[in-house]
Amino acid sequence: MQLRDFFSTDTVDLALKTETKDETLRALVRLFHLDEKSESILFKMLKRRETLGSTGIGRGIAIPHCRSLVVNRLRVAFGRHAAGLDFKAIDEKPVHYVFLIVAPPLEVSNQYLPVLGKIAQFSKEADVPDRLAGLESPKEFLQLLEEKGV
Amino acid sequence: MHEQLETLLEMQDLHMQRRALEEGDVREFESGVFDMSVEEALAALDDKISELEHRLTGDVQERYRRVIGRRHRAVVPVLGGVCYGCFVAVPTSWASEADPNDKMNVCQNCGRFHYYPP
Ligand SMILES: [Zn+2]
Repeated sequence: MQLRDFFSTDTVDLALKTETKDETLRALVRLFHLDEKSESILFKMLKRRETLGSTGIGRGIAIPHCRSLVVNRLRVAFGRHAAGLDFKAIDEKPVHYVFLIVAPPLEVSNQYLPVLGKIAQFSKEADVPDRLAGLESPKEFLQLLEEKGV
Repeated sequence: MHEQLETLLEMQDLHMQRRALEEGDVREFESGVFDMSVEEALAALDDKISELEHRLTGDVQERYRRVIGRRHRAVVPVLGGVCYGCFVAVPTSWASEADPNDKMNVCQNCGRFHYYPP
């Protein structure tokens, strides 16, 4: 299983124009093209997870995540925000890179935690923040994941 | 979507997060990678669940309490015409309706609330 296989170019937004953490979560959820109610439930759950402790793991990276009944398979998205967002991150620094991951309550192949783990592992690599900053297209994002081989 | 169904779905998601946090892997992950205080998180989830439970009205609240006491989940999806709580086929009289989630549907066999995923 490679991280690259879970992402596609249409769930990558390298130019988020949002002002707040909430708006950012909404913008990323919208990339999944769910119906309005499902979007709103998913947003609530992600927000709830954030109130239990920020998913900003430092170095400008956040990984909001939750399980929810409204998705029927594991979904991931990536967003980049040039100015940076207040995510109440562990290191209190602004967040520029947001990986969103959602999964249904039960999955056949149970990929949720392994995928979360891989994103966390990817995020810890020394050059990753700079590489993410330099991306010019969603395709380059996928190439970076491939190159890192996570 | 019926407002009470929406509340039930939210409660179910919270129950699920709660159960997940009690599992070793998730607990370890959330406290290790994300520095979460798991005990505080569990208490916060309990508060929210009981707040939502009070938002349920009359029959729905009564059924919810009855079903959740006896079974693990109060809301189950219907997939391919089958109740995913008891795996019994659901009569498809709603098939012509716009969105079956606009009203409260209940399994005639196991008593759980039904949710039709998009
Ligand atoms: Zn049933």
